[in-house]
Amino acid sequence: MDWMNLSPDAVALIGFVSLFALMLLRVPVGMAMGLVGVCGYGYIAGSGPALKLIGQTSMRTVTDYTFGVIPMFMLMGAFVSVSGVSRELFRAANAFIGHLRGGLGVATVVACGGFAAICGSSVATAATFSSVAYPEMRRFGYPQSFSTGVIAAGGTLGAMLPPSTVLAVYAILTQQDIGKLFMAGIVPGILAMLMYVLTIVIIVKVRPDWLPRGEHKSWGERFAGLKDVWAPLVLFVFVIGGLYGGFFTPTEAGGVGATGAFLLGVLRGKLNRATTLEALLSATRTAAAVFTVLIGALIFGYFLTITQVPQNLTAYVSDLGLGRYQVLALIMVMYLVLGCLMDAMAMIILTVPIIFPIIVQLGFDPIWFGIIIVMTVELGLIHPPVGMNVFVIKSVVPDVSFTTIFKGVIPFVLTDLLRLVILIAFPVIALWLPGQMG
Amino acid sequence: MSNAHPKSPFDKIIDTIEWLAALFVGIVAFNIFLAVVLRKFFDTSIPDSYDFGRMLLGILIFWGIAATSYRGNHITVDLLWTYANARWKRIIDVFATLVLLLVVTVQTIMLFDKVAMTYRDHVLTYDLNLPTWPFFAVAWMGDVCAVLLITIRTYRLLRDPEALTPTTGTGH
Repeated sequence: MDWMNLSPDAVALIGFVSLFALMLLRVPVGMAMGLVGVCGYGYIAGSGPALKLIGQTSMRTVTDYTFGVIPMFMLMGAFVSVSGVSRELFRAANAFIGHLRGGLGVATVVACGGFAAICGSSVATAATFSSVAYPEMRRFGYPQSFSTGVIAAGGTLGAMLPPSTVLAVYAILTQQDIGKLFMAGIVPGILAMLMYVLTIVIIVKVRPDWLPRGEHKSWGERFAGLKDVWAPLVLFVFVIGGLYGGFFTPTEAGGVGATGAFLLGVLRGKLNRATTLEALLSATRTAAAVFTVLIGALIFGYFLTITQVPQNLTAYVSDLGLGRYQVLALIMVMYLVLGCLMDAMAMIILTVPIIFPIIVQLGFDPIWFGIIIVMTVELGLIHPPVGMNVFVIKSVVPDVSFTTIFKGVIPFVLTDLLRLVILIAFPVIALWLPGQMG
Repeated sequence: MSNAHPKSPFDKIIDTIEWLAALFVGIVAFNIFLAVVLRKFFDTSIPDSYDFGRMLLGILIFWGIAATSYRGNHITVDLLWTYANARWKRIIDVFATLVLLLVVTVQTIMLFDKVAMTYRDHVLTYDLNLPTWPFFAVAWMGDVCAVLLITIRTYRLLRDPEALTPTTGTGH
């Protein structure tokens, strides 16, 4: 083979194979994408322009004010997490519905939704509730499979309800309005919570003794629980309401939310010097990890552009003669398979620049597709054989086997698949709220 | 952090770098909050708030990358690593860290060009006409720290892996 005269398609193919090999060898995803992107770009355009790409892309990405939305919402989530809000939300929800059959499970879903809405991370939500809700469910005799399954599923709400980091990254990559994407996630997020609750109700009907009643609380105790959760809920409504009403830009909403979460934590006596530093460090590390992937993806994107992979793939798919929903189904299947191998964020960053032109060509709404793609990659967090949330729960409750957790997750995976079909059939569920924005 | 190991000078340097990065994220948030409050309620603004915000963001990210690289908190695909035995885990970790070191070193060299270009072009902030190159230089120093910390991480992986915080990455 003449190595000096490879076609762009061959270079792209070698690039993808190298990328997956490096990622499997645990090279950080962003670094692997950057390295392959620069080498591939350098092969085609020369090493000088390729090397210049590194400095320019890195500095331009990290100094883009719009991208500030990512660390700001992460900081807001970190402050809320270290303030112990997860425990308070669970306690409040449990006080109202814990005495019903399956009530602790419903309380877990509701508290996961509330926490995920502020925290924005599925994995963090699953990890937190493994230590908050799992012991309580076990105390009242809930089976291990259900207890872990409901937490794994509840954790996925983090990517759908605003402010979702994954949705923000999708918006940046596809140049969509971050605010509109956040709004588009609200109704599907609430639908997800309702469908999880419905799943628990059905489980209770089928196996009444499986999910026993929890402790009955007086009305005084119930309202006492609410006083702990009003502050973070007000903060959430203020930030997301301000975004919806055009009062803030997304980055400003994140900055105000982070500072607000800090002030609320201090005023409520929930934050001290150590927890404040812990939150700052956590947000910095996570934001740096996401930006590394973003920089790598942008460099890899230049490589893809110069090899014309997205254009060629779009033309190839058009020539297949498949219907638009058949193509969409193929893309969904690809994401479900990839979900077994990769982190949700990495998957979105790696694939969206390639898939998005096809979606636009097929005439699908970019905002709606953002919701669909995030829902699909989140399914990857819980579906067998490998699910990130399942791994996280296993690390917190090591006495439960993977098989047991996956057994508990299956009813919720089926619910998610049904919800995916509903959202594909009725895009208005996602698009109605952003359509009301100015 | 493991209690078995007393803090070495290296650890103190690493802690300082992490605290600096964490401080920057707090400053960025407060800058945005203050700018919004002043604009919405007092009809005024902090001069160069936008430019300061985006340049501080750059500083926080590069310093954050230094801390993240040392702690092994990057987003990774751990599928192969999870099923490898201890010896192969270590080999994979050393390989991945060496690639990381290579990429970040090249990035640091190329970023220096960008800082020098900003200095030569005399790029100024919008309101106060301050030169922007010092901000870029501080951000670049974060990348220099990243090279330093990844070198320490590589050394420790080879010589003293117990001294490193157990890493799981953030992937799977």
